[in-house]
Amino acid sequence: MSNSGIDSTEKFLQGEQEPAASWVFLALGVVATFSFLVMFSLLYPGQELPVISSVLPIFSGIFDSGIWFFILGVMVGAFSIIGTLLLEATSE
Amino acid sequence: MDTVLTMMLLFWAGLFAAYLLIQRGLWIFTDVAKSMSLFMLEKALGPGADLVEGRAGSGAKAWIIQGTIWLLAAATFTFEGLWLTHDPNALHSLSSWGYSPSAASLISAGEYTALYGSVSMFIIGAGLHIIPKLVGTKLASEKNGVLSSFLWTFSVLFLIIGAHAPIILTIPVLMIGTIVQILALTSVIVNQLLTISARTATIALPAWMLVFGLLGEPIAVTLSILTGAVTTGIGQWMTYHLIGGSFFFLGTSGIALYAASASTGNALWSKVLAGVTLVGGLMTINPLGATDGSMVTDMLGPLADSATIELGATDGVTVAFLMALSFLPMIAFAGNMMITMRGNDASVEGAGIVEMNLGTWLVIPITIGALFVQTDVVAGTGELAGLSNALSLMAVWLVLVPLTLGASLSLYPAITGRNLLSQNRARWGFWMLAGGALFGISITMIADFIDMALISATVEDPVSLVEELRKVGSVMFYGVVIGAVIHSLNMISGLFRGVLVETIAANSSSIKSDSYSLTSATSVRRILASGAGLDTEVVPVSQSDEKGNATKL
Repeated sequence: MSNSGIDSTEKFLQGEQEPAASWVFLALGVVATFSFLVMFSLLYPGQELPVISSVLPIFSGIFDSGIWFFILGVMVGAFSIIGTLLLEATSE
Repeated sequence: MDTVLTMMLLFWAGLFAAYLLIQRGLWIFTDVAKSMSLFMLEKALGPGADLVEGRAGSGAKAWIIQGTIWLLAAATFTFEGLWLTHDPNALHSLSSWGYSPSAASLISAGEYTALYGSVSMFIIGAGLHIIPKLVGTKLASEKNGVLSSFLWTFSVLFLIIGAHAPIILTIPVLMIGTIVQILALTSVIVNQLLTISARTATIALPAWMLVFGLLGEPIAVTLSILTGAVTTGIGQWMTYHLIGGSFFFLGTSGIALYAASASTGNALWSKVLAGVTLVGGLMTINPLGATDGSMVTDMLGPLADSATIELGATDGVTVAFLMALSFLPMIAFAGNMMITMRGNDASVEGAGIVEMNLGTWLVIPITIGALFVQTDVVAGTGELAGLSNALSLMAVWLVLVPLTLGASLSLYPAITGRNLLSQNRARWGFWMLAGGALFGISITMIADFIDMALISATVEDPVSLVEELRKVGSVMFYGVVIGAVIHSLNMISGLFRGVLVETIAANSSSIKSDSYSLTSATSVRRILASGAGLDTEVVPVSQSDEKGNATKL
């Protein structure tokens, strides 16, 4: 019998497959975040959001065309390709 | 003699000499040349050759995957170029990083990336799979096939930089891109010729198309430089269209005709039509593409001066005649493709086939449009010049990209040994890509028509409708970007997690039923569920299923 105090039979298990319904919790989290942001503006009218309100003006004059939304999509697509390539190549 | 006729005759002579050399070899030097070429492809690279394993099919796979990734870059540049035509200052904030792109430079970068990044890589990649299959041997050097794909990608990077800034610190960037590209292309040609030299079967027509397509580009460029045609406007225009007719049209036709047959299981419908496509592609002037030779001027840098198109005495007639004749190979190709894909029965659907269908249907109307615009420019009228950019985009995004991407997608399982990750994603990718390109460029063309009408009516005030149309056109074209992302993800994931081809073959063969005895009325669903396929023969049998009855013989 081991004296280390750690049960040798203890195992951490992590599934390889993602459950189909896990995205529901992610969506719930995003919706809750936006709800609280809306609630913030209702509870503290006229008060700017901390941090975000001081960061956003930095980008004024830079992302002043609608094309940037599309370029953001391209960047997401490009990074998803790179991410997929790396993940698929390194996964067991 | 006039420039056009001289170039055409020398081009035909060069191709005929290449044909003779392929068929007859180099007399007593054949063996020496073969062993030296093989040495140059692998051993001469030293440790570089050990960077890759050289597994069967790895060369074709490397080219096709890189071609798909370049598709995203090509679509993005073209989308940005279309956007900047109505909002020129959209990317002005990037000027603080020293990058101030214009609509023209972005569309040019998109064209270089689409033609040399995607279409060319699909043609060469699929060719590395097709030619060895058709001549009954293995590729001479898989290692070189993989390494040359990275060299080619390197050249595409130079072309993209050069499209934005042709000269950096007195260095002609596009010219360097061209030199790197010629190096990669030379190794591909040598690799394919060595493969053909070890053939065990006669060379089929799609393989000839690919071989002449590969040889067409260096022969056209060499002739253009040697004859001095590269310094004249008509010589540059001719060089551009000779490359378009040989490398791009014949290369695309070769892989598309092979894939149409291989992916549907139908035999190539007509050998004569395939022959007409091959000979016609080389003997005529393909009207698809730009109305000037500026791409040749840019890519050959100091060797070519920018010049306007001036026709000699008989040049105009020759050009018009040879361009009109190009309909023969175009119609032969389209007809052969359609009927081969359809076969004797119902059309087969699947990844890649729908893309090839789209390109096949649109090649004729776009060629007719291009013929009108090219004839107008060559005749010096210039009334339709405003449409040339949109038509050029259509030729790239609605003919060349769908045909080459479709062929690559349908050959993907044979090349990689795995299927695409999801057929459903492939379908989404097709709809986004096809819808985005078709609607995006068509709406842009409508805006071009309005602009032309306003110019001819000498109206100086810009019309807001044109701006709105250009805006809608560019946003619609964004579908191509999304389609490129979907296809890239599907192909990359398929390499690792796609269902193995052997698994499907084993599964399908175990449930296959050659004939089905129909004893009583039943639904088609039940027949299919019992293992029958579309080719299963349903045989009515006069016997009763009721208990206790004897089977009637």
